Amino acid sequence: MFLALKEIKHEKLRYSLIVLIILLISYLIFLLSALAIGLASQNTQAINSWQAKTVVLNENANLSLTQSVLTKKDLQDWHQNADTAYIGQVPTVAKKAGRPSVSAQFFGIKSQQFIYQKQVLLAGKRARAPHQVTVDVTFKQKGYRLGDWLKLSGAKGKYQITGFVRDAKYNIAPIIYGTLPVWRKMRLLGPDVVASAVIYKRITAYHHGNAKHYPIAKLVAKLPGYHAQNLTFGLMIGFLFVISLMIIAVFLYILTIQKLQNFAVMRAQGIPSRVLVSATIVQAVILMIVGVALALALMQITLALLPAAVPIAFPPMIGLVTAVGMLLMGVLGSFIPVRSILKVDPAQAIS
Amino acid sequence: MIELKHVRKIYGSGQARVVAIQDINFKIVQGEVALLMGPSGAGKSTLLTIAGSLQKPSSGEVVIAGQEVSKLSTRELSKLRLSELGFVLQAYNLVPFLTVAEQFQLVDRIKHNGNLSHEELDKLLQRLDIKQLLNKYPNQLSGGQRQRVSIARALYPNPSVILADEPTASLDSERAVAVGQLFQQLAQEYHKAVLLVTHDQRLETYADHIYQMLDGKIQVADN
Ligand SMILES: Nc1ncnc2c1ncn2[C@@H]1O[C@H](COP(=O)(O)OP(=O)(O)O)[C@@H](O)[C@H]1O
Ligand SMILES: [Mg+2]
Repeated sequence: MFLALKEIKHEKLRYSLIVLIILLISYLIFLLSALAIGLASQNTQAINSWQAKTVVLNENANLSLTQSVLTKKDLQDWHQNADTAYIGQVPTVAKKAGRPSVSAQFFGIKSQQFIYQKQVLLAGKRARAPHQVTVDVTFKQKGYRLGDWLKLSGAKGKYQITGFVRDAKYNIAPIIYGTLPVWRKMRLLGPDVVASAVIYKRITAYHHGNAKHYPIAKLVAKLPGYHAQNLTFGLMIGFLFVISLMIIAVFLYILTIQKLQNFAVMRAQGIPSRVLVSATIVQAVILMIVGVALALALMQITLALLPAAVPIAFPPMIGLVTAVGMLLMGVLGSFIPVRSILKVDPAQAIS
Repeated sequence: MIELKHVRKIYGSGQARVVAIQDINFKIVQGEVALLMGPSGAGKSTLLTIAGSLQKPSSGEVVIAGQEVSKLSTRELSKLRLSELGFVLQAYNLVPFLTVAEQFQLVDRIKHNGNLSHEELDKLLQRLDIKQLLNKYPNQLSGGQRQRVSIARALYPNPSVILADEPTASLDSERAVAVGQLFQQLAQEYHKAVLLVTHDQRLETYADHIYQMLDGKIQVADN
C-alpha cells in the first residue's frame, strides 16, 4: 500500500491518464450493457409487469401471440381465478390529427381479471367502456393527452385515452389496453373465439383441444428480433470485455516495464520481490476501483440527463456485476508483468 | 566478514566472451576500510556486485557473514542484503517516487528492528548536511546531495558491511573529507567492514588497505 500510494502521489499525471482510460472503457461497457438491457426490457416489460410464468396458446401458433386464437372449446376445462387473465393481441397503428402516428400493440383484456386490475396508472383512470383505452406512457412522451380520441387501424370508430400506464411495452411497441370484443372485431373473429392467450402468474399445466401451456420464457425467446438483438449485444459486450482486458493489461504492463529500473534499485537494497509484486497489484486494484467508480458516477449522470424516450436501463445488479468484472480483469492484467518483476536483476542497479 | 575465494566472472560467450575478473582471493574485515582502485574496465564494479551478492560468480565461492551465498534462496538473499549490506550505488540509488524521509520509512516497513533510532538518524543527517532535504524528491536534489542521501539510506538499516561505488564522485573536497571521516569512524567505532570502489585519492588517507585492480586481477595489496 505504501509504495503503491506514494508512487501514484508522485506521478499524478501518468496515473490520472490511466484512470481516465479505465474510466472511459468502463463507461463504454456500462453504457452498452444499459442500452442492451433497456432494449431487451422493451420487449418484455409488459410480461414482466404481469409477473407471468405460464402462457396457454394455440399449439399450432408456433409460439406467436398474433397467430394464436383460443376458442370456447379449447378453454372448456379452464377455471378462472385471481392468477389468470385473457389477452387478445393484435398489432395496430394509432393515429390522431396533429400527433405522430404510433405503431402499437392492441391488447384486449377483461376488467374482472388481474391484468386490468394491476395496471399502474401514471395519470388518468382505467378504461370503463368499450370505446375507452389506457395506453403506455410512450404516447404521452409523443404528445398525446388524456381525452384524445385515437383512430386504430383495423378497428371501426374512435377510442378515447382515459389513462397512461407504466411498463406497458410488448416487442418494443407500446400497448393499448382495450376490451376483448374490440379485439375480436379488429381480428374479424366470431363470438366463439375467447382470446389469443391465457396468462398465468404461476407455473401450471393445461392441455385441451388446441390449447397448450408453455413457460413464458419460450414466448419471450420467440419474440421477433429479441433473440438476435440479445445475441448481438451479448457478443459486443463480450468482445468489449476481452478487448478492454487486453488494453488494460497492456497499459499495466508498460507501466511496470518502465519501473523495472526502480525495482532493481529496491531489490539491491534488499526489498523482497514479494513487496514489489504486491505493490504492483495493489496499485492496479486502486486504479481500477477509482476508474470504475468514476465511470459509475458518470453513468448515473448520463441516466439522469438522457431523454426518457431512450431505451436504457441500468439495474444496480448489472452495475455491480460489471464493476466486479472490470476489477477482476484489472487484477488479472496486473499479474502479467509479475514474471518480469520476479526476474529483475538487482545487479542492474549498479552501472 | 566478506570473503571471495578463487572468484571468476565471465560475461557472454563465444566472440563476446569477456573475463571480467579472475582468480580473485579477497577479504574485507570488520573494523577496516578497504579501497579498490584501478582504471575503468578493470572489473571493480563486477567485484563489488559479486561481493554484495547482487550477482553470482561464474566460479568460486562467496561467503558473507559466515553464509555461503550460492546456498541461499532469493528470499534469504534479500534478507541478508537488507540487514547486513549497505549499498551506496553509483547513479540511480534512490527510489524516485519517495521523498528522502520516505526512503527511510520504506526500510522501517520491511525491517522492523535494528534500524537507526530517531536520534541516530538525526545525527547522521546533520553530519551529512542533508537534514533540510527530508521532504524533497530525488529529482529535486543536486548530484552531491543525492550521493549523501544515498549514503544515509545505506547506513540506516545499520548494516555490518558497507559497499560503495564511487561514493564521493560528485562531492566537493570538504564534503568528500566528511564522508571519508564518516566511513573511517564507522569502521573504527562501529566495527563495520567498508569497501569503497573509487578513483578519489582524497579517500586514501582514511583507508586501512588499498587494492589496485587491472584486467580483472588484483595487482597490489598496499597497506
Ligand atoms: N553486464 C555485462 N555484460 C558484459 N560485459 C560486462 C558486463 N559488465 C561488465 N562487463 C565487462 O567486464 C569488464 C569489467 O567491467 P566492470 O566491472 O564494470 O569494470 P569497472 O567497474 O572497473 O569499470 C569490462 O570489460 C566490461 O566491459
Ligand atoms: Mg564501474
